[in-house]
Amino acid sequence: MSRPLLAVSGLTKRYRRGGKSIAAVDDVSFDIEPGETLALAGPSGSGKSTIARLLLRLIESDAGRIEFEGGDFLSLSGAALRARRARLQMVFQDPLAAFNPRATVARVLDDPLRIHGIATRSERPRRIAALLDRVGLSADLAGRAIHEISGGQRQRIAIARAIATKPSLIVLDEAVSALDVSVRRQILQLLLDLQREERIAYLFISHDLGVISAIAHRVVILDAGRVAESGNARAVIGAPQSTIGKALVTAAPKLNRTSTQGAADRQ
Amino acid sequence: MTALLSIRDLTVSYRRDGAEVAALKHVNLDVAAGERLAIIGESGSGKSTLALATAGLLPASSRIDGCLDWFLPSSPSVGAKAPPSEGGVKERQPSEFITRSTHTPLGGRDIGFVFQDPSASLDPVMSVGEQIAEVAHTHLRLTWPQSYAWAKTLLERVRLSDPDAALRAYPHQLSGGQKQRVAIAAAIAAGPKLLIADEATSALDTIVQAEIVALIRQLVAEDGMTLLFVSHDIALATELAERIAVFRHGELVELGPTAQIIAGPRHAYTRALLDAHLGLDAEPMPQPAGASR
Ligand SMILES: Nc1ncnc2c1ncn2[C@@H]1O[C@H](COP(=O)(O)OP(=O)(O)OP(=O)(O)O)[C@@H](O)[C@H]1O
Ligand SMILES: Nc1ncnc2c1ncn2[C@@H]1O[C@H](COP(=O)(O)OP(=O)(O)OP(=O)(O)O)[C@@H](O)[C@H]1O
Ligand SMILES: [Mg+2]
Ligand SMILES: [Mg+2]
Repeated sequence: MSRPLLAVSGLTKRYRRGGKSIAAVDDVSFDIEPGETLALAGPSGSGKSTIARLLLRLIESDAGRIEFEGGDFLSLSGAALRARRARLQMVFQDPLAAFNPRATVARVLDDPLRIHGIATRSERPRRIAALLDRVGLSADLAGRAIHEISGGQRQRIAIARAIATKPSLIVLDEAVSALDVSVRRQILQLLLDLQREERIAYLFISHDLGVISAIAHRVVILDAGRVAESGNARAVIGAPQSTIGKALVTAAPKLNRTSTQGAADRQ
Repeated sequence: MTALLSIRDLTVSYRRDGAEVAALKHVNLDVAAGERLAIIGESGSGKSTLALATAGLLPASSRIDGCLDWFLPSSPSVGAKAPPSEGGVKERQPSEFITRSTHTPLGGRDIGFVFQDPSASLDPVMSVGEQIAEVAHTHLRLTWPQSYAWAKTLLERVRLSDPDAALRAYPHQLSGGQKQRVAIAAAIAAGPKLLIADEATSALDTIVQAEIVALIRQLVAEDGMTLLFVSHDIALATELAERIAVFRHGELVELGPTAQIIAGPRHAYTRALLDAHLGLDAEPMPQPAGASR
């Protein structure tokens, strides 16, 4: 069997609150294969985003190991860290919020190409057009300011930005949660197409178990910073074993069309 | 069916960069007293515009045509769970005498509004107790001690675990779910006839969301309130509402009982919305070539 793309073991992060030390992430282990989608689910405050930030080394862990593409990711620094980071990208719920709303789409996509030395200045406009095409957008959008485009278009641009550096893993933290159902489905389809064609793996953070069933291979359910259960996504969501897993499944709103499907189809 | 509100030919547009953008177009909709009505539709379809227009909260940059006819009791009425009143402090009118009202209903008194982000409706520098008591003091003309007592009763009703502590707490000291309970307590403090919840649970995890939805359902039932529930989550809407109104591009495209909307949607757009929903038993989308185990 091949080495996993990402192997996380014993990952721990504590925060001090009111004099007490609280483990936001407590001895968490999991791995991700190349081209695989692993979902992270759990109630608010269970540590999902903290894990994402630890993986991207936006914050430092208190204990644990992260192996990425066969090497010790936590020991990297300087140029070696920068080079490896190009292979590990992230998409947030509102990924373009950090940009000046007047910044153009071209500017947003130019950054990673320039920072990681992927294309020369003269090559970049062509690369940007190719990236826009890759995520199903027209090249005309390049000149548009980001406040002038829709939520779905913004999320496509965030994905274009993430894939610009040819990553092997993308961490998506509630990346489709703010989108309405039809746009959400299009973005999920785009992610699946990219995965099939470029073998990108995803760590997909979401509290939407329906979305997880539809796109993830496996799921890890967190509770208070610890892994409550993990396994095949549809098996776990279909028959959760942990208390928190059962609570999440029970609480999820359900659209029961099964007995009425026929009527709808006959219309 | 007694109507609470009759919306006729409502058209709303916003001025943006010198141009007028229509957000609602010729909407006709009757809201029955005591019903739970959900408003669904994709982003930008006009759901919040309808909620704001109903509550009289549209920004000055908007232009409104058409009319909203209210059929309200002739005076501020208080639901079944009225605050404690001692002889003559609060006037109580011959109850539930319905007249057609030409005055605009008063936000806070006749209409309670709960937003997606509870921080938007809570004042960060005022304690939770003060904010709820103020609504009661203003609209119910209770004395301050009575208003505080009523605030505490409301915090118990929205099932905050420690109502005494919550009274003294400031919004930033509460979790998202707790804040939303407080916002609901403030919204129902004056015993409104209509409760409008605009994506009130969208920012919460499913467990907290289910608790808040159960709470709203219970409060509406106990007080005979009417509910306007705005959401883009069709599954959530079907769990809560008796009727569903589907909006698209500012138009009301379909309206019907929940069961009929799910079982026999007439409009292709409604069907597309239903089809796009990913339930817990969602079939895997076209399978990626990943390593499945
Ligand atoms: N900078 C910080 N300082 C103190 N505590 C923090 C900090 N960041 C996170 N926490 C705490 O760590 C825990 C985990 O938070 P995290 O943001 O990872 O949760 P989450 O699972 O992503 O939740 P959500 O679904 O609400 O996004 C929470 O209790 C949170 O309050
Ligand atoms: N204050 C405003 N100024 C200008 N345009 C606005 C304003 N508020 C809303 N709009 C526009 O009106 C239309 C309807 O918006 P509205 O907020 O009612 O939609 P919505 O259905 O609530 O969407 P969402 O699901 O994203 O909340 C959109 O095109 C929106 O961009
Ligand atoms: Mg998070
Ligand atoms: Mg809205």
